[in-house]
Amino acid sequence: MKQVIRTLFIIVLAAAMWVAGCRKDGPSGAGEVVVYVSEDQVFSEPILKDFESQTGIKVKAVYDTEETKSTGVMMRLISEKNNPLADVFWANEPIRAEALKQKGIAAPYKSPNALEIPDIHKDPEYYWTGFSARARVFVVNKKAENKPNSILAYTDPRWKGKGVIANPLFGTTTVEIAALFTLWGDARAKAFMEDMKKNDVGISTSNGESTDFVASGQYEFSLVDSDDAVSRIRQGKSIEMVYPDQGENDSGCLIVPNAVVLINGARHPDNARKLIDYLLSKETERKLAFADCAQIPLHPGVETPSEVKPIEEIKAMNINYGQVAGKMEEIQQYLKQWVGY
Amino acid sequence: MARRAVLIFAAAVLAAIGLLPLLVMFLQSVTVDGHLSLVAYKDVLTSRTQWVLLKHSLVLSSLTALLATVVGMFLGILLAKTDLPFRRFFAVLFTVPLLVPPYITAVSWSLLLGREGFLARFLSSSAAEVTSGLLFDLSGCVLVLFSTFLPVVMLLTMTFLKTINPRLEEAGKLTSGWLGVLKGITVPLILPGVLLASILVFLLTLGEFGVPAFLRYDVFPVETFTQFAAFYDFGAATAAAVPLAVITFLVLVVERIFLRKKTYEVKLASAGDGPLVIRLGRIRSRCLVFVCALCFFIVILPVLVLVLQSMSFDAYVQAITRGGDSLLGSLLYAVVGASALSVLGFLCGYLIHTKALSFWQSLDSMTIFLFALPSTLIGIGLVLLWNRPSTNFIYATPVIIIFGYIARYTVLTSRITASALTQIPPSMEEAARIAGARWFRRTALIVAPLARRGLLAGWLVGYIFCLRDTGISMMVYPPGHDTFPVRIFTLMANGSADFIAALCVIMIVAALLPLGLLVILFKSRRFV
Repeated sequence: MKQVIRTLFIIVLAAAMWVAGCRKDGPSGAGEVVVYVSEDQVFSEPILKDFESQTGIKVKAVYDTEETKSTGVMMRLISEKNNPLADVFWANEPIRAEALKQKGIAAPYKSPNALEIPDIHKDPEYYWTGFSARARVFVVNKKAENKPNSILAYTDPRWKGKGVIANPLFGTTTVEIAALFTLWGDARAKAFMEDMKKNDVGISTSNGESTDFVASGQYEFSLVDSDDAVSRIRQGKSIEMVYPDQGENDSGCLIVPNAVVLINGARHPDNARKLIDYLLSKETERKLAFADCAQIPLHPGVETPSEVKPIEEIKAMNINYGQVAGKMEEIQQYLKQWVGY
Repeated sequence: MARRAVLIFAAAVLAAIGLLPLLVMFLQSVTVDGHLSLVAYKDVLTSRTQWVLLKHSLVLSSLTALLATVVGMFLGILLAKTDLPFRRFFAVLFTVPLLVPPYITAVSWSLLLGREGFLARFLSSSAAEVTSGLLFDLSGCVLVLFSTFLPVVMLLTMTFLKTINPRLEEAGKLTSGWLGVLKGITVPLILPGVLLASILVFLLTLGEFGVPAFLRYDVFPVETFTQFAAFYDFGAATAAAVPLAVITFLVLVVERIFLRKKTYEVKLASAGDGPLVIRLGRIRSRCLVFVCALCFFIVILPVLVLVLQSMSFDAYVQAITRGGDSLLGSLLYAVVGASALSVLGFLCGYLIHTKALSFWQSLDSMTIFLFALPSTLIGIGLVLLWNRPSTNFIYATPVIIIFGYIARYTVLTSRITASALTQIPPSMEEAARIAGARWFRRTALIVAPLARRGLLAGWLVGYIFCLRDTGISMMVYPPGHDTFPVRIFTLMANGSADFIAALCVIMIVAALLPLGLLVILFKSRRFV
């Protein structure tokens, strides 16, 4: 018994020393960078590991989960405003980056690797920079008789009860709705939302679920992120991908780039800039294009797989992400009511 | 004097780690720009959705508790009181789901019943729709949480059966058969323990976040988390959690009034009074079939599905490569957490057992209250309290995770200690006291060694619960120190099914190792 207790005591002591020792390796140490990531860990971690092996800089990451609707790290960043632990925020869309700018949590940084990225995908004051985008596309069941090619299909009686959309309170669907509000104005956008309801549009919990609903035939089409569509197509699902509103007089489809942000008061600013430069490189964009997330490079001329349409060939919605971020906050109450909260 | 000081210190540490964060949260929820405001509460109370979610939570908790109570009590009696073969083996097997994070069981069922699950390969697409629809709904949540919390009722039933004086049942047998004895004597005697277990299952289900979130069934804890994570609104998150806290509090008040005196300590019948065994006779084989079928359905099948799904060398290589560091971290946090819980639980259990301080009942209630609260709520409180530059030695290190474990799980070790101390004759410590031994000496040389089996069991239970924790760790883990269950959660988004299944299998093995150790140690004579 005594021997067992002694052994247990030694194990506990060693473990306690290890836990206590973690403080020395913590955010105040050198040779490391702390990054909060809302891009899926499956896709982002390999990129961060590559950065680690190429630079020798230790990456300490906090990842989001699907269950937190990819907003958990955002919550942490806001609550840590006066005590920042993060150096870099890798957001999976630019609106949160914009929100951080407006809350004074972001710091400006003009990366030399971002010169060729189109201005529309960058903050004019360099508080955030976009890279590797997703497009908001339709997934359409292959058996559907009528294939929609405009977002207005959601309100068209021909597709009554046949469309589904992810809960607009979360994720890229919120961005899409807010973008429509800035593009069309409040009156038309609200009318569109109400017409969607009248047209019996289904509401799912996520874009992934919407895609699965369409693949299984439960609904005929849904507006989702291009990575959800490509991953299901690669799995052999019975769906096809349609870029909506690509006609000459159409508004184009929404492009949602990742965004990288330098955190105000970062404890490792030099390493943070190195990581940002790395994320904004053509090589990172190429890797993310060939990964299962199939993201669209924003640098011109980056090699892509066949399913990923180059950015030059997509008619993109002409929006200002700063305005969209402001509108998102403004319409939150309306969206809550719309969903029934 | 030393005893009083140490016990007060232990209670103060627990209050600082567990209650203070909740107090800070509450204050923040009633303050807007430095002024008193109840707007967050008004929003919660006037929203129809909140009441619908509350109804969902109550329905889910009630159904799970009811099912777990009926089946768990029956199973507990079968395994503790009859001549059913392989009783201990079944008792260990049925405990397995409690040892792994419940969402892993949910993942397993989704691999089996989901739209593209194993079963869908043999069913028509419409039938697969039905099975998937049933899983991703209330029924799926009840199934997963029932199998997770069934062992709580089963084990407590088995424990309370050991407290019955067999002479009472012998007397009953003179005038009645076993059915009458069970109905008139045995069940009424264990009823307080069964009801306690039932209440625990109800509260644990009420606070569960991971399973309803995964199975897309909207309940109150998910709403709390959404308010916090999606709208960054601390006040609204706290306000949204208040109804759950109030229900938890009320249920515990009821438990205190009706059950506490009968259940807070378990005194086993003396060793000489072996329990009376029910000979099942003709129904023995039928009972065995029932237990085998139930065991296969809720224990073996989910594990089997994960193993089959992960049958690829690459999946395991990938799982070890991408999860190995967090697994190691989790094991270490669980060791440290279990040890801290053992020390604090021993002191709290000692205080509760000896009633050494006037607030022993409040301390006992506080530990249960913290255990029953949604883990997301405790997580938010910890972030609010410790997230400041002067306390980064806690917030920015794994110490914050250990604090979370202490806040949530001290009840386990304190209750186990209190029960272990009940088995020790008070005369032992009294004799040492009369002989002039001081409290520290008496505790270290008499009380602790005599309660060693209970303390070891407490440590292992603490270890298992720390290792499987997801809710608190997910909210507070510092950069680079995610735990293994959290790593599985974050890799789940778009991770391949075989890779996720391999991670889950590794998690199950890590959780089961200490159970094996427990069985071996308790069989060892040196620990008797």
